[in-house]
This record gives sequence, C-alpha cells and structure tokens, in this order.
Amino acid sequence: MSTAVDETLTILGKSPKDLRALGEARHLSLNDAEWAAIQAHFKGLKREPSLAELETIAQTWSEHCKHKTFTSPIKYTEGKKTRAIKNLFQETIVAATAAVKKPWCLSVFEDNAGVVAFGKKWALAFKAETHNHPSALEPYGGAETGVGGVVRDVLGCGLGAKPVLNTDVFCFGTPDYKGALPEGSHHPSRTLRGVVAGVRDYGNRMGIPTAGGGIWFDDDYRLNPLVFVGTVGILPQWAVGKKVSPGDLIVAVGGRTGRDGLHGATFSSSNLGADAPASAVQIGHAINEKRVLDALLRARERKLYSSVTDCGAGGFSSAIGELGADCGARVRLEDAKLKASDLESWEIWLSESQERMVLAVPPKSLKALEAVFAAEGCETSVLGEFTKNGRLLVTHHDNAVVDLDMKFLHKGLPRVERTATWTGPATSKPAGGTEKKLSAALREAIGNVNVCSREWVIRQYDHEVQGGTVIKPLQGVRHDGPGDACVIWPHAATGDMDDFTGFTVAHGLNPDYGRIDPYWMALACVDEALRNLTCVGADPSRAALLDNFCWASPEDPKQLGALIRAAEGCRDAAKGFSAPFISGKDSLYNQSKDEKGKELPIPGTLLISAIAPVPDVRKAVTMDFKGPGNALYLIGRTNDELGGSLYHKILGRSGGEPPKVQPATALDGFKSLHAAINRGMVLSAHDLSDGGLAVAAAEMGFTGEFGCLLDLDEMPRDPRIFSNETLLFSESPSRILVEVAPENESAFLRHFGKGAKAAPVRRVGQTTANPILKVVGLDGSSIMEEPLRELKDAWQKTLPAALG
Amino acid sequence: MKKPKILILRAAGTNCELETANAFAAVGGDPELVHINEIKAGKKRLMDYGVLAIPGGFSYGDDVGAGKVLANQIRTTLTDLRQFVRLGRPVIGICNGFQVLVKAGILPHSNSCDQTASFTFNDSGKFEARWTHLRLNTQSSCLFFKGLPEMIELPVAHGEGKLVLKSPRQLEELKKNKSIALQYVSEDGKLLGYPNNPNGSMFNIAGLTNPEGNVLGLMPHPERFVAIQQHPNWTRQTYRKAAVGLEMFRNAVLHAR
Amino acid sequence: MTVRVQPSNTHLVEIRLRPEHADAEGAAALTLLRAQGLTSLIETRVSRLYEIKGSLSANQVLQATKDLLCDAVTQEHRVVTPSPAPMNGANFWRVEVWLKPTVTDPVGETVRDAIADMGLPKPESVRCALVYRLVGRANKAALEKAVSKTLANPLIHRAVVSEAHP
Repeated sequence: MSTAVDETLTILGKSPKDLRALGEARHLSLNDAEWAAIQAHFKGLKREPSLAELETIAQTWSEHCKHKTFTSPIKYTEGKKTRAIKNLFQETIVAATAAVKKPWCLSVFEDNAGVVAFGKKWALAFKAETHNHPSALEPYGGAETGVGGVVRDVLGCGLGAKPVLNTDVFCFGTPDYKGALPEGSHHPSRTLRGVVAGVRDYGNRMGIPTAGGGIWFDDDYRLNPLVFVGTVGILPQWAVGKKVSPGDLIVAVGGRTGRDGLHGATFSSSNLGADAPASAVQIGHAINEKRVLDALLRARERKLYSSVTDCGAGGFSSAIGELGADCGARVRLEDAKLKASDLESWEIWLSESQERMVLAVPPKSLKALEAVFAAEGCETSVLGEFTKNGRLLVTHHDNAVVDLDMKFLHKGLPRVERTATWTGPATSKPAGGTEKKLSAALREAIGNVNVCSREWVIRQYDHEVQGGTVIKPLQGVRHDGPGDACVIWPHAATGDMDDFTGFTVAHGLNPDYGRIDPYWMALACVDEALRNLTCVGADPSRAALLDNFCWASPEDPKQLGALIRAAEGCRDAAKGFSAPFISGKDSLYNQSKDEKGKELPIPGTLLISAIAPVPDVRKAVTMDFKGPGNALYLIGRTNDELGGSLYHKILGRSGGEPPKVQPATALDGFKSLHAAINRGMVLSAHDLSDGGLAVAAAEMGFTGEFGCLLDLDEMPRDPRIFSNETLLFSESPSRILVEVAPENESAFLRHFGKGAKAAPVRRVGQTTANPILKVVGLDGSSIMEEPLRELKDAWQKTLPAALG
Repeated sequence: MKKPKILILRAAGTNCELETANAFAAVGGDPELVHINEIKAGKKRLMDYGVLAIPGGFSYGDDVGAGKVLANQIRTTLTDLRQFVRLGRPVIGICNGFQVLVKAGILPHSNSCDQTASFTFNDSGKFEARWTHLRLNTQSSCLFFKGLPEMIELPVAHGEGKLVLKSPRQLEELKKNKSIALQYVSEDGKLLGYPNNPNGSMFNIAGLTNPEGNVLGLMPHPERFVAIQQHPNWTRQTYRKAAVGLEMFRNAVLHAR
Repeated sequence: MTVRVQPSNTHLVEIRLRPEHADAEGAAALTLLRAQGLTSLIETRVSRLYEIKGSLSANQVLQATKDLLCDAVTQEHRVVTPSPAPMNGANFWRVEVWLKPTVTDPVGETVRDAIADMGLPKPESVRCALVYRLVGRANKAALEKAVSKTLANPLIHRAVVSEAHP
C-alpha cells in the first residue's frame, strides 16, 4: 500500500510534543517511546500511517490489551535494596503456576479464560475482569456490558464454553455518603443501584445464575467504583484447543457494528476525567448475546468452525488481529453488517459494539454454519479470510485501510522501564479510638455495611436458573443467612443428572489489609477464597485462582511498589497453597480528581477468585447451625492481628498487625476439614473473616435459629493474648468454625494432624436450643449474652435502610 | 414402553429449556428442544408430540411486556395449539411460559382467542428470586397435580409476575371452574401478603389451569425442584420432603403414554 | 394513543398502565425524585413511548399498537395533548427519557422485528422512551436537575421535561 486512501495522519518528522497532542486529540493513549517506535516503523515503510492503522496500534498496545505495567521492566527499591524486575507477571503469577505444576490445568493465561479439568469428560473455563470506568460513567450500561463482555470471553474460550455461573464483586463508596462530589460523578447509592440492575438484567436475561460475589464499601471508591464481573463456563475437553488455519473464513456473528463504544480500550487505560468520550459507554442487548450463545454451542457440537474469539476492546481490530496473529488476515469491511450506513472505515474496524464474536470457519462448513445461526435469528457476515503472509490487510470498497505487519503489531511494543519503591509496612502499635462495650461493638460489627446482609442485592438475581444451585448464596431456616459460597451442580449443561460432581467459586478481597501491607493482603485474599470454598465442601487441593488487580497510577513509584508487593504475595500464596493461577487481569489508573481538584486514588485492591470441584454435591455443607447440643470446633490459631480489622474501624483505632497467613498450616487445616466433610462428619462450617469469631458465631446462630455457648479460653491461640476483645474480633486468617454432632466428634478429630505444622483444632463450645450467643471469657465469667434475633435485625436492616 | 415425545418450545431469550428437558427425561419422557422458527418454517409439527412445554426465560427480552412477542408468534404460528389442547394433551407453561399462555389467550380458557388476564410488575418493583409456599387446589382436575400433597414449596424468579384479571367477576368464574390451580400461602397455609405472596398477585394466584385440567400455567419453577439437593434446606437434619416438581413432569408423561 | 404524525412518517405511540393498577415503577421513581428534595411531588406514573419511523400508515401503526405494544388487560393507549394546564394548584409534569441516537436501543430493535413479524412493513427504526408523568409542585430547573441525578444519565440519555396536561 503506498498511501492509505482512508484518512492519513502526518507523523513523520513530528516532534514528541506534536505527537502527544495528536494522541490526546484522538484519544490514542500512546506514550513517547511508543510514538517513536511507530514513527520509526513508518519511516522504514516510507509512508504515513492511516488513521485506522494508528488506532489499531494504539488499541493493540493499550494497557488494557497488553498489560504493559505487568510485563515491562521495573527498577524496584524495597527498603535499602534495589533490584531489576524484567517482567513482573512472568516472575510472580506465571512462575508460581509453573512451580506448582498441576496436570489438571488445561489452559492457562493463553485463552480468553483459564481452563481446568472437571471430571474426565468436561472442563471449566473461568474468567473475571473489571468494567470500572464505564460503570463509573453509566452504572447500568457499564455493568451490563461488563457482564456481556466476560460472558463472551467464556463463550470465546476454547471452541466455546456454556456459561453456568456469574459471580460479581463490587467496591463502592458507602451508600449513605454525605460529602461533596465533583461535577458529573454519581452518588455511590446511584452507582450501586445501577450496577446491580445492570448485572441483574443482563445475567437474568441470559439465563446464567448470578450466585456468587460480594460488595466492599469504602469512600475512597466513591469516584472510581470497581465492578468485577466473572463467569464460569463448561465445555467438553475436546473443545479446549483451537487453531486458525490459513484459508479459514473470517466470520462475524451476533450484533451489528455501529458507532457505539469507540475507544473503550484506550479509554480504560487513562485517568477518569470529565472529557470521557460518550461513545465509550453503551447499553447491552442481552437477548442478542443469548442468540449467539445458543447458535454458537450448536455449531460447536457440529464442529463447524476451527477457532473463535469475542469482540471486546478494540472490536474487529483486536479480535481478528489476535486470531490471525500467527498467520495473517485479509479483511473487507464493506461486508460487515452495520447499524448505520455512514460509518467511516476506521470506525467499523475499531467499533466496540456489543454482542459480536469472530469465528474462523473452513470454507466447506460455511453454509451449514450460516444455517445454524439463521435458525436462531442471529446474523452472520463473512469479512474475509485468514492468510499465511503474516500481514494484516484491511480494505473498504477497494480503499486500503490497514496494511500492517502482524509481527510489528504484536511484538513491536517498546518496553519502558518504570521505577517503584516500597518503604516497608505501615505497622505500628495500635493507637487511638474509643473503647466500646463488647455488646455494642458486636452490634455495630454485625450491622456494619461490609458485614451486613446482601439480600437486597441477591434476591434480584435469578441465582437458581439452570436448576443447579444446590448450595445457595442465602442459607438457613428462612433462606436469608450469609453463605460462604454457592455450589453449582451443572446438570443442565452436561445433561447428566446421575453425575453429582459440582463446583464452587469463592472470593477474597480486603483493601484495609493492603493499606498496611499489600503482600499480606494478597496472602489473606487467597486464604479467604480457599477457606470459603472449603466450608461448602469443595476440594482445596484442586483449587485454581484468578487474580484481578485494581490500582491507581503505576507511574507513581509508590503505587507501583505496592503493586509489586501484592504480586509477590500472590506468588507466595499460590506456591504455599499449591494453587495455580490460571487467568487474571489488571485495571490501572483508578484515580480521579475530587471536588477540590485533588487526586483521589483507590486503595490498592486485589480480588482473588478461586474455583474448585465439589466431589459430591450431596455432601455439601451450609453455614447454619443444625441443632442444639452439637459440638463447636475452631480450626486455626488466633493471633493478635487486629491491624486493618473491622473492630479497629469501629473503635476508630489505627495500627496493629495485619493477619499473616502461614499457607502450609492453613492448607493442612483446609484439607483435614475437606476430608471430614467428605465423610459426612460436618453439620455446618463457616469461615471467620471480618469481625472474627464473634460475627461468625452470631451469623451461624441466627441463620440456623439455634444459640451457642463459647469458651474463649479453649481457643487455639497465641498464649500472649490476655484480652477477650482480641480473641473475639481478631481477624487471624485460616480459621473456620465447625459444628459436629456429639457422636461424630472423635471420628471428626481423626482427620486432623498432630504435628508442629498441623493446623490446630479445638472444641470451643456447643450449640444450644435457646437462640442466644453466650460467651465465657478468659477468666471464666460470662462476658456476653446476646439475643440472636436482635443481632439478626441489626444485620438485616443496614442496606434496606440505605437503599429503600 | 414407548417414550412420549415432549416438545419444549424455544425462542430467543428462552433460558430454562435444558433443565426442563432434564426433568422430562428423568421421568421417562423424550424431550426435544424446538425453536419457534423451526415450526414457522414447517420443519416441525406440534401435533407430532404428546406434551407441550413452554419453559421460563425472557423471550425476546420481555420487551414490550413479559411474553408478549412470543405470545403473538404463537397466535400466528402455533395455529394447531387449540386443537392440541382440545385433544386433551398436556400443556405446561412455566414462568415466562405461563405469561405466554395467558397472553396468547390459552389460559384461563382456550375456547376463545381473547386475552382475559395479564401480568404486571411485582408490587415490590423488583425482580425477585425466592422460594414460596404454595397450596394446590385439590378440587381442580389438573392432571399435573395427581398424587401431590396439598402444600408444596417451589421457587419463583420474576419481575413481572403479578397476575391481573380483566374484571372482578372473572375471579368468581375462575373459582367456580376450579381454574385457580396454585396459590401463594404462608408456611401454615394462610393467604398473606408480601413476601408470602411475592408479587402481589390477585387472590394470591400462582398458577392457573383450564377447566379440563390439561393445561397448567404457573409462575413457580417445578423444574428447579426435581432433586432434593435443590431445596434451600436440604442440608438441615429436620428436612424431610420429596422433590415435588418432578412429580408434575411425571404426571404429564404418564398421561401422554 | 397519540399518533403525532411527524415528518417522514414518524409515529409516536404512548402506552399507559390503566389507572386502576398500582404502578410499582412509578412509585420507585417517585421515591428517588423525592430524595432529591422534590418533596412536593405526590405521584408518578410511568408509561412507554414508541417512536416508529417508516412507511407504516396510521392504521398499520394502530394495529401494531393494539396487537403488540399495548396489553389488552392492563394497559391503554392515549392521545396526549401538549398544552400545559395547572389543576387544583398542582402542576403536572412530563419527563421523557430517550436513549441518545448513538446508543443501541434493544427494546426498539425487538419492536421493529416484531412489527415485521406481524406481516406489517418493517419500520426503518423504532426507539423507545420511558415517560414519567408527575403530579405535584416543582420548578422546571430543579426537576431537570433531579432527573439527571436519578432517572436519566446525560451521558446516554436525552431527557425532555415539560409541563403537561394530566
């Protein structure tokens, strides 16, 4: 191509300043080094780039698509030591997965989702990502298209997986936030309503149960809410692999291409500001995506295509660019089905219109494929073919639009070294705040916005569609208690009602620990996710992990240093728990100017999502007390770890040690509990997290409508603890409270080890008929006697009071 | 014995078809998923099947009104549905399928094409998924209920489930014809308001049957209670109940044999 | 039903819930608006407004309205007169919330296909708006501001606030 007839831009001979200005005007988000590389490339070609080419490069090289921060060299100073990190992602997440070597990992970090084996015949694809910036601007549409996007990731994983679970985690400002907000930013309660409605409407319409997740409130998220959307899909193992062959046709299926959603990828890689392009925000069309789902899986069964991927950020440019990366592609834009006839070439190429996917179809299968899609009322269009010349050639009515070398596009990104520093954890002696009576503190803890009932949200999700939600998010006598995780029995997808294998998904997230030390936050998140899934009956030694990092600007060395700490925590957790990471994402630049013009960064946030099989769903366990007179065992040791805890927050106290996970001991406890659950020895189990033992015991009690009597002196603990408050509210990790029938106590205990590295387990009390939480303190006197009905009221009223 | 063929009708946005098919298969039926487009194209014929099931979902997004677009398609495409009903073959509409049957004028009576009932938004203003206590009308001749206890539990999941009748006189007629198949009640069997009646339906109606008893439409989802492990309280030691949803499908299959 | 005939065969059809039915959507909208300080609003009811462009005649639009857009039992279609008239000291307000033309309108797409399915000419485009009919004292600027904080997002919606006849 000598000159693109499509609009060209002049970059040869321009100064970095001019190029920056050009980039800003066109929302290209390219840095100086990247501009220089592009300039050099086109100088070699002796021509100017077309607008579509620049857009394609900018999309492909965006933080969103290439994860530059995680893959570029960093000069990292920790305390007095400085070292070079070549590729943070490879050295932490990938290295850990390689080290634990699990044969049941079928596809990691390569495809649109991570894939693990599920029995002999099936596999589970799991992906979670964020849709933060769009959700901040338009909560309903942002959440909807976020769900739509991650569902397409799973549909486009391998040769297509059927989605069987949606799981969503949100971080918002508090719903009753009273302070000022800058112009144009939504109140947290509006964001929450909109996001919940978007997740609801898209997931319910697609018929995917939304049965897992959580919400974390912190006012530092008020300008940059986080919306994590996750989907699990199931596919036969033969469909895990995919390969494009030269000569395969490029077939677009699903929604039409319009002007909506231009610049999504580059936009998500820049700070959120008032000048966000309106076209980046869209409304979803769930039924169109359902049509694609129904048609795609039917075409998969007949093996009518050889590869598939979704159109996400970058639209056709990245979908076709990815599929054809190893061979080449020839695209004719005039054959695309459009929403409006006046789209420019680059707009068709880059549009992020929703509900579209791209398939590689052998020519002999085209007719059959078209028939399958037409039967579902789903449009298809043949855009061109995959070639073997290693070039990406795009034309529009005989006009050349893009003519790029795939190698330059995918490997030409220059790496810029960044610097990062970490100055040591912000631990100190606990200080400040006002003491509160135990009973007042417990009531406040249980009604706290980060602990209270999520029923207002969960009921709006169709969490039982597909008929496989055998352990539900809401549990107990009145179906309203806080389950640790759901268990899915995917018989609708497998068609086999005699196979009782299921799976579960659980999460860990706590930015308050990260404020002290992101390293320990990462370990605590992995621990939380694993102990939650162990509680419902999943096998902790078969757990696979997803990471999602949401951070402020990595150009700030301190922020980047904290991010490195968190990534190294992930590495050590994965190795320590022998749990591989299989997929992950990051979302950076989550900071915005507040009403006074001051930058407000989010707290560094890591979401760990874990998936594990439940060998027999008929042995799954819920967290509600099942009857009076049963023994209560506490697994795990309690230490003085109140740093970043809910109790400190309630008292207004700062400092203290954050929870420090010892993975080997923790895993030993989880495995022992899993063995006991598998033998049917466990009546109920609930993990100890925010609010520690006090909150966990209260929740188990009011959900099962039985009381309990706890003796703090029986707790396995650091002998230096002399405070009842610490024992009740410490958030030491790896702890689970378990209810065991008296006749099974000795058999239950046989599953636990006795060695120095074994997790401690001890009888700390029993359940009672009277629904009262009674606690005996270290000196043997009664220190607490709380009616569970009142605690439940406090737990239930918080969100409805804020949201109506 | 020959397995009766079950037509499970699909359209864009249907989403409970697989679990409904599993339920029929588990009790000896031979379910087949059929898209309405296949019937329109003449590739499949309703009369070749012994049972018709219209499963839950959001047909065509429930845009315009729940089930409305599919109901219109049924009026124009499934022209032999009335005959199918007259022949006494079982028809079940679940959730969105119930909305479709009502809006297509098949329930509460299929003798005229007029729509005499409808659905509007839940009084709570929200989509809600929850388990409900239900009382079956033991007087009704509904073939799906044979051998079932009077009090059962099933989950509902809908945003537009409030049943509305054209006139108050109609309620008396429905009572007289024993068309009120299913009512939302409290655990002890009383007709109470929200949340026992999750949507504010008139006279707590959760399901309707035709006077002949071979057509059943209901908002709750029987296909979500075909195994004990689907009940919210199956892990509790005090829980002793059978999966009643499965029995409804069994009755349809037995009848079709 | 309004058939406000517009240039190039544009028809506007409004579908309302019959007054005897409680309006849960309207009640939720009223709560949100009142929380913005518009405490003298006393009632809100929601209806749907369809803008149908294409070669359909008024009779064909009427047929589509009766057989598709309007529920025979719970809804009615009405003529809307745009002249404002305060009654009994209270104002009546009308807020139309449209998706901007660049934003996909899934409902509109469904209606467009469904009209064609009925054997009528396929419209060029159908767009759907939510109409909030409010009763109670308010001033226009305050109402517009409250609407932009609750019922409409200026980024994707075009909200039209006007005084209206009940």
